[in-house]
Amino acid sequence: MIFDFWGSHVTVPSDIISAWILTIILAPIVLFWISKKKKWPLVREYMITTNHRKIGTMYILFGVLFFIRGGIDALLIRTQLAVPENDFWVFQNDKYNELFSTHGTVMIFFVAMPLLIGLMNVVVPLQIGARDLAFPYLNAVSFWMFLAGALVFNLSFFMNSAPNAGWTAYAPLSTDTYTPSAGNDYYIFGIQISGLGTIFTAINMIVTIFRHRAPGMKLTIMPLFSWSTLITSFLILVAFPVLSIALFLLMFDRMFGTGFFHGGVGSPIYWQHLFWIFGHPEVYIIALPAFGIFSEVISTFSRKRIFGYPAMVLSLALIGFMGFMVWSHHMFTVGLGPLANTFFAITTMLIAVPTGIKIFNWLFTMKGGVISFTTPMLFALGFIPTFVMGGVTGVMLSAAPADFQFHDTYFVVAHLHYVIIGATILGVFAGIYYWYPKMTGKQLNEKLGKWHFWIFIIGFHMTFLPMHFAGLQGMPRRVYTYQLGEGLFEFNLISTIGAFLMGSSMLFLALNLYKTHKHSPNVGNDPWDGRTLEWTVSSPSPEQPFKKMPYVSELDAYWYAKLENEDLSEANDTRPAPVSIKTIQPVILSGLLFAMSISFIYQWVWLMIITGLAVLSIFPIRSLTSRNEYVEKRVKHE
Amino acid sequence: MLDVRIEKLEKAVCFMKKLVSLLLIFLPLLSGCQLRALNPNSERASDQTFLIWFSFGLMMIVLSVVFFLFVRFVSKYKQTEMNKNDIPRDVKGNKKLEITWTTLSMLLLVILAVPTVAITMESSPELAETSLENTSALHINVTARQYSWSFQYQNGKTSENQLILPKDKEIVLHLKSDDVIHSFWVPELSGKQDVLPGKEIILEFKADQVGTFLGKCAEFCGVNHTNMTFETKVITQNKYAEWVLE
Ligand code: HEM
Ligand SMILES: [Cu+2]
Ligand SMILES: [Cu+2]
Repeated sequence: MIFDFWGSHVTVPSDIISAWILTIILAPIVLFWISKKKKWPLVREYMITTNHRKIGTMYILFGVLFFIRGGIDALLIRTQLAVPENDFWVFQNDKYNELFSTHGTVMIFFVAMPLLIGLMNVVVPLQIGARDLAFPYLNAVSFWMFLAGALVFNLSFFMNSAPNAGWTAYAPLSTDTYTPSAGNDYYIFGIQISGLGTIFTAINMIVTIFRHRAPGMKLTIMPLFSWSTLITSFLILVAFPVLSIALFLLMFDRMFGTGFFHGGVGSPIYWQHLFWIFGHPEVYIIALPAFGIFSEVISTFSRKRIFGYPAMVLSLALIGFMGFMVWSHHMFTVGLGPLANTFFAITTMLIAVPTGIKIFNWLFTMKGGVISFTTPMLFALGFIPTFVMGGVTGVMLSAAPADFQFHDTYFVVAHLHYVIIGATILGVFAGIYYWYPKMTGKQLNEKLGKWHFWIFIIGFHMTFLPMHFAGLQGMPRRVYTYQLGEGLFEFNLISTIGAFLMGSSMLFLALNLYKTHKHSPNVGNDPWDGRTLEWTVSSPSPEQPFKKMPYVSELDAYWYAKLENEDLSEANDTRPAPVSIKTIQPVILSGLLFAMSISFIYQWVWLMIITGLAVLSIFPIRSLTSRNEYVEKRVKHE
Repeated sequence: MLDVRIEKLEKAVCFMKKLVSLLLIFLPLLSGCQLRALNPNSERASDQTFLIWFSFGLMMIVLSVVFFLFVRFVSKYKQTEMNKNDIPRDVKGNKKLEITWTTLSMLLLVILAVPTVAITMESSPELAETSLENTSALHINVTARQYSWSFQYQNGKTSENQLILPKDKEIVLHLKSDDVIHSFWVPELSGKQDVLPGKEIILEFKADQVGTFLGKCAEFCGVNHTNMTFETKVITQNKYAEWVLE
């Protein structure tokens, strides 16, 4: 469609116009619904909260929202690829490139990350007996920065300039010479801002876990989900600044004419190194917390303590550490030479060992137990074979010369979805079903949950198993079509059918949420017969949990206390709780950062200056307003 | 009653096992001979195909062990009417078992690492400055640009989006890009090699069958990346000598 804009013609594709129309219709409906249900006070309450459960719930809510967005992208991709030489709607050439670039970026940064961080927020404090995260204000800042970044990123589509250089944004394609539109600037700012929020979360988690554990809970008896959070946080602390720097350099190349990633002195390979030094640890950042969730779920529903706890912790740490030594396995075909390729092939193979150890430990946790097939447990059980299949293709990819064939084909697309969906997404579903009572007080319907699981897992394998063969048959990734004679049709058709099956499973989740909130009563503290401290507080978790601080003397202390028919003994020397406050400052800060990003993307100098100054002014404002409140509270306490 | 149940269970387990092995082993085997990356026409590609199969075989061992234990434990220890109130005995761990699977998995990886290292050291392409000049071979300059390939032969002859090669002759490709990163890929003849701007990379192989193979750009390079394909024709040396002088 063509518009007249002050005399110049602007062409807008019909998918974007449909999105505009949909927004114009939906937005008033949502606003009206909120008003009618008198939910505005609730919205306000969440905007000014610093409570970990509420912030965690918001992370999960928006993670699910963006999951729908990324999922729609995936279905559009699969529709375009369903049959050879297809011309579905507008999704060819650059439009297709925008599709997979957005799909990948959204799924990694705005789905996997917030869903896991959301669960950490809800669960970790409760699991270690903390009354909140160490820095509640900072936590709110983290969340609102994530949301600002996500909104910047998602805005690009509505402005008809979605990023189009893949989620990896390889230079020099991602520099302004080859992609001059605003798309990749949106990519840079969207990720930069939400990434900064993620770094703050990591600091917050580390301090919380080190400083606010319940009395008696030594690190050596801390539950595994908290352990995985701790190690993940360290990975974030090292990896995300690398991404930040890479994005800054790319921003300078695009906006201020520097030449880090192209030209005579710079090199596009520098970008690849920086990106993957971040990127490989990132895949562990989104896998390790899921491992933590599975450890909790498998142990609970086998009614047995985790097998080989020390090995589980050690392998988490080893995977995290070795995750920094394998990045160039993404660059085997760059031509780094025989020595580099050999080195990174070996380190990559090695990292399979601690991962294998974990798998065996989960299996042996189930051995001799009493396994009940609840929905969270089904997701955990689905994880084991699925993830192992992704893991073995990972080892196959690590053989560098074999990767000369696999690299950048659908074999890799299959592998990455087996590990990411197998671990992260199944883990998040397991976690959401498992801890839903702690978030909302209600337990999701088991029957619908099982439907959700089975349709999802069948659809998943149907989508991604054939992709291995499509890749070996010569289908590169990031292509919008293929020819009839190439022998790719069958594989792709099966994939597409599977993708829609998988997509439809989400309807069962939606129905489940609806039914649960309509009909189910609240449940008690401990609906699953759990083992860790979060099950000692009421559901949903109160804003001031652990009025009586428990003393924790062993792993799964709550479980053993229940076996003895006793309560956990009470501790008398408790740490002061973090000060929770109500403040609108984080929302304002992230609003300003949002505006500042837009001003940079479109190079509106005056707005840059104004918003920049405004962002800086938040710092003194915060310093001047916070201290009083803190002291006041302390005084009242004493 | 109990016996019947156990028998049923065993049948179910057996069926599952069959299904899984069918899916995992036979599906790729059945289609394996036709898949392009598993149908090598050069020594370079054969080495890669060998590694693919070799690693696949080793990994199938891992996969079957895990699947076997998984199916067995899940079916044997599931909650039933009888055990639903039991509290199972706690097992903290088992040093011997844990050491066993750690060493076994290391051993498996060593087995995989040996041929991997050998083939990697031999066949990883290098920058032109670092690789040794191979004078007896046939040198071809390959230039990639958005969105086409051009090939320049030793006598100056060029061809667009069509690469003509003689059979049984060492080929040395000099890969260069005029703009962004591309990747040269003919599954039957060579693995991928990225084509970089500002650097020249050497890719060597020798085609040992005549035939026509579809080549593709395998590194996402922009709007028309999908259509950046080329045809590779391997012909006899005599025909090649004629063609190049045409
Ligand atoms: C709903 C099911 C999903 C389907 C059907 C799907 C499908 C696809 C397909 C077909 C591609 C390849 C596009 C291309 O190369 O042309 C792709 C790429 C990708 N997907 Fe998914 N996907 C799904 C879910 C996910 C999830 C949950 C994640 C991560 C949390 C994810 C992460 C990625 C990434 C990182 C890429 C690479 C993007 C790029 O090449 O830049 N996907 N997906
Ligand atoms: Cu990696
Ligand atoms: Cu390309």
